[in-house]
Amino acid sequence: MILHSLLIALWGGLLGLERRAFLQAMISRPLIAATTTGLLLGDISAGVHIGLVFELFFLNRASLGAAQADHDTLPAVAATALASQLGTAFGQPSNAAMWTVGILLCAPLGALGRWFENRLDLRAQRYIRLAVGAAEVGELRRAGRQNLIAMWPPFAMYAAICGAAVALGNLLSLALPWVSAGLSRSLTVAYAGLGIAAAAIAVGECRAPHRAWMVGAAAGIIVAVTYGALR
Amino acid sequence: MLSRATLLRVFRRALFIQAGFNPLAMQSLGLIYALEPAIEELYSDPERRRDAIRRHLAVFNTHPYIAAGLIGGILNHEARIARGEESPEAVLHFKRSLMGPLAALGDGFFWLSLRPALGAVSVALAPWIGGWAALAFFIAFNAVHVFFRAQMFRVGWQRAEGLVDVLGAGQLPKWNQRLRILAAGAAAFAGTVLVAQIDRGRPIAEMEDILGGFLLGAATYAAAHYRARPMVLLYAAALAAAAASMLK
Repeated sequence: MILHSLLIALWGGLLGLERRAFLQAMISRPLIAATTTGLLLGDISAGVHIGLVFELFFLNRASLGAAQADHDTLPAVAATALASQLGTAFGQPSNAAMWTVGILLCAPLGALGRWFENRLDLRAQRYIRLAVGAAEVGELRRAGRQNLIAMWPPFAMYAAICGAAVALGNLLSLALPWVSAGLSRSLTVAYAGLGIAAAAIAVGECRAPHRAWMVGAAAGIIVAVTYGALR
Repeated sequence: MLSRATLLRVFRRALFIQAGFNPLAMQSLGLIYALEPAIEELYSDPERRRDAIRRHLAVFNTHPYIAAGLIGGILNHEARIARGEESPEAVLHFKRSLMGPLAALGDGFFWLSLRPALGAVSVALAPWIGGWAALAFFIAFNAVHVFFRAQMFRVGWQRAEGLVDVLGAGQLPKWNQRLRILAAGAAAFAGTVLVAQIDRGRPIAEMEDILGGFLLGAATYAAAHYRARPMVLLYAAALAAAAASMLK
């Protein structure tokens, strides 16, 4: 458990930086972040299934200028880590009911992550003051280095949250023997509900013209295919 | 002129443009971090170096990929200033006049069009290709991103204001519309795949689940369209699906 916590804390911290501070090659997008987290924990299925729900949910959110969007990486990494730990407690890969628990518990981390990010931005003002001071006395390298020093607080913050998600997963696994078959079935069905809602939100928020027609067309196609397969 | 090694160092450091982002000066910490090796090479006089760093400590904010192009352009102007061919005002004018409009162009294309389109297509493929969908997303996005970033830096360094011509020729706003249609279509398809509960490429849901899924999707779509809070919709959908399962 401690090894998993440290591993996910390190990976979560790096992804938190990749999301904004460095590179932005989309490794921190929910689909990729959750899949790689699942891969690290030996439960890739949890990563893909949780990642696709959050990818759709955050599809059209973007930080524009200084206006921050909800943090899309933290919920995906934390939910995958949590669900994977629940599965580990059973000695098998996690299932849809566990993905639902992970998603429902970790989705609010998006708003929390944004709040932290705004606070950390305010804190980063001290680095620009230090850089100005260093530039005034001709220490150019010290001025430039403030940019790298500013990455430590967000790294530590995201690492702590992702590491804590692993611990929470282990804690919740203690309650698994008390989960009834009915509740487990409901949580399994709720996973499909979460995915459908996330897709509908993605289409509803999309800035594309004629999107209602696309919903109708896609729905018609899948009904026909499903009906044919079921017959 | 700047050596090739210095240009590469600046390009590499430009990847950290948002590391020290703050509301006071936005990306200016990242900007001086990226420019520092070039300024050290261009100006041997410590006083001129200090002046060069000082003029870039003012507010700077643009799209992080476009920033590579602007940094290339700033190097072009700084090299001319170092040779005494133009005044320091020229580089400030270059930055101020381009960072806003180019940021809007980059945000519209990368954040609001390309990323949603490739993300939605990857999600729609996930039931068939599993974890490879994440790799497909990564490769497809970065094929465009890395090429764009490197090209912008090269054009900025060679032609400075020529950035505008190159971006204009790319007709990004025309692509925005197409990519957003693709994003909406792929997201709608992903939703219907989830309704049918595709498993290893075959639908496994029963007809009444499909009907319930459509109703749930349609209601959520309508609520999202009328700006209901997405987080509330997510929890409401999970609750509705769980309740329907209990009543069955």
